[in-house]
Amino acid sequence: MRWATRAGVHVDRAACAWLVRRFIDPDAAFVFVDDADEVPVDATPFDMRGVELSHHEGRCSFETMLRHFALDDPVLWDLARIIHEADLADDRYDVPEAPGVDVICRGLSMVLGDMEVLAVTGPMLDGLYEHRRRALLLGRDPA
Amino acid sequence: MAERLEWVLLAYRLPREPSGPRVTVWRKLRRLGVAQILDGLVALPADARTREQLEWLADEVLEAGGEGTIWLGRLGSAAQERALARRMADAASLDYKAVVVDAEAAAYEAEVVRRRTVARLRRELQRIARRDFFPPPERDLAQAAVDRLVEMVNVP
Repeated sequence: MRWATRAGVHVDRAACAWLVRRFIDPDAAFVFVDDADEVPVDATPFDMRGVELSHHEGRCSFETMLRHFALDDPVLWDLARIIHEADLADDRYDVPEAPGVDVICRGLSMVLGDMEVLAVTGPMLDGLYEHRRRALLLGRDPA
Repeated sequence: MAERLEWVLLAYRLPREPSGPRVTVWRKLRRLGVAQILDGLVALPADARTREQLEWLADEVLEAGGEGTIWLGRLGSAAQERALARRMADAASLDYKAVVVDAEAAAYEAEVVRRRTVARLRRELQRIARRDFFPPPERDLAQAAVDRLVEMVNVP
């Protein structure tokens, strides 16, 4: 399936793409557009103004996707707190790691193209997921 | 002549009732550090982040039954741009001054209170820096006041 989002990928879009590939559509192909009008007709748009898989009622697109696809893995929801604060910094959650994730993703988008950003943030998000999974199992931060 | 900045503007109107969304939107605008141009018209220097944040807020306004449009624009003269930047810097300097007052007051508090104040003020500085597009001199004063407090906590 084809998925479309805005060019100039930042943390929320990178996390959504990772979620799609890993949990929803392993064969996903991504298209990056500058304007909503450029979304191909066969593509599912996300993290764009006015589409379903986007920000709603103060939630970021990653949180919207978890709800939409009924992904109730608590590790993903824990990860969602980090993505939310890295993207929006609205203090809805207390997540000290979020500003770090934010600057890493901003920096990557300065030196890499969108496809490459997805390639690099994939393993980063795999690692964050594993870290939060172990933290939830242990009830504390893993070593 | 210096290039004038590009600004991103959100023009919005929200229903008077319920008041919940009005308050939420207002709080989020304040956190972003917008300059209020008119009632229902706010501006930020345009970059990828500010534009995106205002776009999400425009969507939030629409979802709350209001109207919201995003505009890109430049001030008509360098003097107007300076005045607007000055206004934003003045607002940030008030926030920085409050940090200085809190940091200095904490110097007279017990060690445990001081530590807690350091943690709070560091986060507060980060929060202000995020909405501070035209850093005033008070930023360095606030940072120095917090640094002094950190030294008092670290050195027994």
